[in-house]
Amino acid sequence: MTLSAAPGLTQARLPSWRRILRRAPVSFHIGAAILIVHAAVAVLGPWLAPYGISQMGTGIPLSGMSWAHPFGVDQLGRDIFSRVIHGSHIVLLLALSGTGLGVAIGSVIGLLSGYVGGWIDNIVQRLLEAVISIPFLVLALLAIAAAGPQLAGSPLLVVLVVALVYAPRVARMARAAAIEIATRDFVTVARLRGEGAWSVMRREILPNASSVLLVEFALRAGYAPVLIGSLGFLGFGMRPPTPEWGLMMAENRALIIISPITVIGPGLALASLVVGLNLFTDGLARLIGRTAPRNQA
Amino acid sequence: MTLIRLIGGRILLSLLTLLIVSALIFWILEVLPGDVASRIMGRDATPETLALLRAKLHLNDPAITRYLRWLGGMATGDFGTALTSSRPIVQILEPRIFNTVLLAGYAFLLYLPMALIPALIQAVRRDRPTDHALSAVTLVLLSMPDFLIATLLLVTFVVTVPLLPAISLVDQSSTALEYFRAMTLPAVTLAVVMAVYAVRMLRDNLIEVLSSDYVRMAELKGLSRRKVLLRHALPNALVPTLNITALNLAYLIGGVVVVEKVFSYPGFGSLLVDSLQLRDLPLIEATVLIAAAVYIAANLLADIGAILLNPRLRAS
Repeated sequence: MTLSAAPGLTQARLPSWRRILRRAPVSFHIGAAILIVHAAVAVLGPWLAPYGISQMGTGIPLSGMSWAHPFGVDQLGRDIFSRVIHGSHIVLLLALSGTGLGVAIGSVIGLLSGYVGGWIDNIVQRLLEAVISIPFLVLALLAIAAAGPQLAGSPLLVVLVVALVYAPRVARMARAAAIEIATRDFVTVARLRGEGAWSVMRREILPNASSVLLVEFALRAGYAPVLIGSLGFLGFGMRPPTPEWGLMMAENRALIIISPITVIGPGLALASLVVGLNLFTDGLARLIGRTAPRNQA
Repeated sequence: MTLIRLIGGRILLSLLTLLIVSALIFWILEVLPGDVASRIMGRDATPETLALLRAKLHLNDPAITRYLRWLGGMATGDFGTALTSSRPIVQILEPRIFNTVLLAGYAFLLYLPMALIPALIQAVRRDRPTDHALSAVTLVLLSMPDFLIATLLLVTFVVTVPLLPAISLVDQSSTALEYFRAMTLPAVTLAVVMAVYAVRMLRDNLIEVLSSDYVRMAELKGLSRRKVLLRHALPNALVPTLNITALNLAYLIGGVVVVEKVFSYPGFGSLLVDSLQLRDLPLIEATVLIAAAVYIAANLLADIGAILLNPRLRAS
């Protein structure tokens, strides 16, 4: 039913963006505002941060919360607030590129498999289900272990792992959408024109599945920072001295009894980003007319 | 008849998935390009130690022989020997799984009231400030990674109010009270994460049920509000929540990995992380396969539950 509404929606979008934004629920606006702040911090980070990324001796180590050091100072004398700001663009870039890659790969697999159908679809289905059956964090850790020590700690590996975790889950959604769209007349017409599966997928099915995939992207992007943070926190993600938030929490955890804020600070930054992404996705899904599916992975 | 065929089909499909998962795990770890032995040893590798390790892992045999031998071992309960400690993996697993099952059970007991009570309050006070406030709290908690929730609990109950231990180390000699104290913070963390996912759905289900005809009927008959809510509305609202409970069970398998690590609780999750850190190949293969098997079993149970609860299928 979403799909039949889609052409009408594109027409309504044509007059002006303002009209859509006026229709958007409050959560969309609050989420967008939080995300704009995060994006601004990510871009302007180096100019906003009071101290350098690895500058030592900025204050008394582990002195706790103060006006000069809102998130405290770690045992090396680095200002955690500055490090959180410097880390912002790393977290955002890793999350967005990993999610983007995963959604792209998953869409192609899912749309093609759903359109082609038959035994190919059956085999793809079984394989995807098998990958999904490995809990996502376990799958991520497994992939990192398999990649070996040479790649460990590289941003590329983190991006690939996020994509690997998301692609099969996105493919499942994309396949369902493709099966629905494949029954419609314009797809039959395209097939009768003699177009191949790839071209039908790209030119007929993909444009009609775009709203589903957009919400899927937003939903996955909302969880990606947590996944990346979890990997960093467990010591399988980025390596020190990268100011990735999960990793910073792990680094300062040993001294949590003396200075809790150095652990909580980066965590709050992470949580506020995810709150923003979740509100935005919720609003976006309602705007497009889909209820946001909620799940943990 | 159809019912048995449906359920039987689901079971066969799950077994097939498990088989594919086992091949996948083996392929990812042992067949991917690059020498397994040098990946395990990293920088400390010398040609002699590499040759020794290869012989120990039978790496000179063809991959398919190794896979079938491993699969046969797993199927008959012989999980092999751990590389780092040279102990049988079954022996290592046993206490860890016991600890995690205990923790998961404790977390589930806490999860039920944590999900039910806020949902009931929200449904009764629909669209009032209480409802909105609880929705906001749920949303914020939903956006918090489990290791942040764990950290906040740790700061509250260990640093600020020193009630509980920061490190949840237990072993066979620990008393029940020690176990209870050690498990409380990890269990609360897991319960909060699971409850947050269930509350939203349970609230919406309850509201839907509360506006249904039979609930209005019960109200018109003059039953007390509490009775209508607990005896008529709640049981019907719980059915669709079955699915989220299965999802939560699936979350638990990943969740214990992080939460056990945060509190240094010696369970299955921290064993998995340790085996990955030590690059103990046989132990990694065993733990990951078990994690996947539990996940598949949880989904299978949810599917069977859904089939049994679907009246259209029951009738035929």
